[in-house]
Amino acid sequence: MGRWPETKRIEALDVLNELTAELPVVVTCAATSRELASVENRDNHFYVLDSMGLVGSITTGLALAAKDSDLPKVIGLEGDGSLLMNPNVLPTGGFLGAEKLFLILLDNQVYGSTAGLPTYSSRVDLGALAQAAGWTVGRAADESQLRGEFARLLTTTGPTLLHASIEAGNAADIPKLLVDPVVLAHRFQTWLTVRMGPHTAV
Amino acid sequence: MRKTVTTKSYTQAVADGIWGAGADLIGYIPSVTIAPVIEHLVTADGGTAGRAERVKPLSREEEAIGVLGALPLAGKFGAVIMQDNGFGNSLTALTTFSMSYHLPLLIFANTRGGPGEYNSMIHSISQPMPRILRTAGLQVLELDRRSSADDWEQTVAEAGVHARMTYRPVVVLGSFWSTDGKVA
Repeated sequence: MGRWPETKRIEALDVLNELTAELPVVVTCAATSRELASVENRDNHFYVLDSMGLVGSITTGLALAAKDSDLPKVIGLEGDGSLLMNPNVLPTGGFLGAEKLFLILLDNQVYGSTAGLPTYSSRVDLGALAQAAGWTVGRAADESQLRGEFARLLTTTGPTLLHASIEAGNAADIPKLLVDPVVLAHRFQTWLTVRMGPHTAV
Repeated sequence: MRKTVTTKSYTQAVADGIWGAGADLIGYIPSVTIAPVIEHLVTADGGTAGRAERVKPLSREEEAIGVLGALPLAGKFGAVIMQDNGFGNSLTALTTFSMSYHLPLLIFANTRGGPGEYNSMIHSISQPMPRILRTAGLQVLELDRRSSADDWEQTVAEAGVHARMTYRPVVVLGSFWSTDGKVA
């Protein structure tokens, strides 16, 4: 893996897949979900196929639900374009202070699945926005920093955001995820509810 | 079911119905009409100032569908309290997330734009909302002055059961006109 942001999304996902094997992972739509599934299509992955902007909110809900579980964090894999579709995720997460909320922002400054049109993130620092809203923020510019900041934020209580800069563009020849969303939900729910343990009260 | 007569207010009935529906976590988007409902929920959960362990303020209806709609993935059940004009902000989330992934969710929304309304434009979105929601395939139950507070409580509670039974969101629309509640 080269120095970021020369790193492709799929290379970052390969590292993150290794780091999140035992964590619930909510994945943003289109290319990111497809590329992660091509790395490994695991039961702890919840692919949000079309609800752009909703990954942060879904992850927030699951983090609240998992408050009393033994899970250290609930992970949301988000893109800059998707976060900008629902930036309320940042003030809401900061206000609620969800202890187990952990967003990983793969920022390539474009809408990767929408013709590569530019997002605001070349001029607006999304990590700084999260910090202003009360999140603990880490930044990654290469694989070593990604691993180090992931480990630090995984054990940091409260909403955390790992802002990773990556190269624009999508991996070639990745098949579409043509799966019934009900199947995806059932698979993830089966994986997650076992790990919620006896703590059923939110 | 045998009906009993109480002097419970309509807003208290809605709050009791939401707890009776088995909600583990409740999110709300502000509305003057449902402010008393929120206060009842917060008080019952031991909170103050609009916040409690199981009652959370949210900033927009779309995110409410994401936050509360995700709970069934963790084996839990969520409820949203909002105003009907906010469905315009949440239809994409309701259809592509809650409905497509078959995730139950209880939504109680007060209605605007009808009798008792002071706002000259809000009917533009509120009046067609039941049709819009049904066109999108959502189950909608409507309540107004013609039924008792007890009926409201039982309907809201059963809507939660129905949502879980049918693995989808269920919307209860409540018009507070000519009840003991406030329209706007």
